[in-house]
Amino acid sequence: MITAKNVTKRYVDFTLQVDFEIPKGRITGFIGKNGAGKSTTMKLILGLVSPDEGEMIVMGSSATNLSIKEKENIGVSLAESGFSPYLRIADITKILKKAYPNFAQEKFENACRSMGLPLNKPMKEFSTGMKAKLRVLVAMTHEAKLLILDEPTAGLDVEARNEVLDLIREYMKEDEKRTVLITSHISSDLESLCDDIYLIDNGKIILHEDTDVILGEYGILKVDQETFQKMDKSFLAKTVPTSFGYTCFTKEKRYYKDNYPGMVIENVKLDELILMLTEFKKGENEK
Amino acid sequence: MKIILNNSSMVPIYEQLMDQIKNEIIEGRLVSETALPSVRTLSGELKISALTVKKAYDRLEEEGFIVTVHGKGSFVAETDKNLALEACRKTVEDEFAKVILKAKNFGFSKEEIQDVVSIILEEDK
Repeated sequence: MITAKNVTKRYVDFTLQVDFEIPKGRITGFIGKNGAGKSTTMKLILGLVSPDEGEMIVMGSSATNLSIKEKENIGVSLAESGFSPYLRIADITKILKKAYPNFAQEKFENACRSMGLPLNKPMKEFSTGMKAKLRVLVAMTHEAKLLILDEPTAGLDVEARNEVLDLIREYMKEDEKRTVLITSHISSDLESLCDDIYLIDNGKIILHEDTDVILGEYGILKVDQETFQKMDKSFLAKTVPTSFGYTCFTKEKRYYKDNYPGMVIENVKLDELILMLTEFKKGENEK
Repeated sequence: MKIILNNSSMVPIYEQLMDQIKNEIIEGRLVSETALPSVRTLSGELKISALTVKKAYDRLEEEGFIVTVHGKGSFVAETDKNLALEACRKTVEDEFAKVILKAKNFGFSKEEIQDVVSIILEEDK
């Protein structure tokens, strides 16, 4: 669906350099801290910025040369984007109908009603949550094959976030060949939604893994000094000293679980993973 | 089909899912030819990755519990009850074998291991 071949984009104080391949039928998540390069990656995919080097291929064509027909197959929700606050949903429906031949007006209006979005109120009266839901609904009601959602849950409370995630789940249920690309810095959202995750930091992809493997095989070990000296360290991917000894990140928690009964082993949360892996890089740089 | 997943368990999610579907089949709540929810549907309902569901379905197919018809979905296979029970027995045996190996590594004798088992069985009553 999307292939990034050595895509490089340089800004004055930031360089993004990514390689990835996103197959059809996946929900893929991009996580990382603010300013890591998530939104730039999305813009490259949409052809809103062009790479300085390499190639971004979207649905078989170069991202910067997508035809109007091809673009109709993409649904987008960008952070902070939106319509004029003085328009009502009833007004934007007319715009969407013109913009997308496949726009499903009835479905869209029904979805708005069931999400509690009034059709005849100017959007300046909408709450943050209502605007976010509208953005996602707009992106997904023209039968798009590819959905690109940049921070669709930012600034939302837990209930509104769940509603947005459920919308995405429904969209994928309707047609399993669809593809969703979503970025978030609220990684717990992505744990329950994505099939695979890219962790991006400082313009580079530092981890790509199936969510299933992260949750099922990755682990955090908490060990004291003495145990640490004696234990087999060959499956430790990262070790951080702490007040009680060491916190270690492993991709093989079963090995430690089977061989070191009694060792404190926790499942990995994506948030911890980001901290562990990005702190690591900081430490490396200091050396 | 009722599935309860424990996200903080050390048992991988796909394994929990497999075990529960297996149980549903063995205990006759899921009869042969019943259509299972699509991978994406179940993934949405359980709020887990579709690849996790796929992995569970694939393993269940390998073990002969379900059949996947391309383009149609997955169905409960015609299972021989005895075969199914045998599969459960095998899982339990494998788990025991692992624990026994662990106990031996700690220097437990055969009697000591048997003692531990009887104590746990007593406690359960």
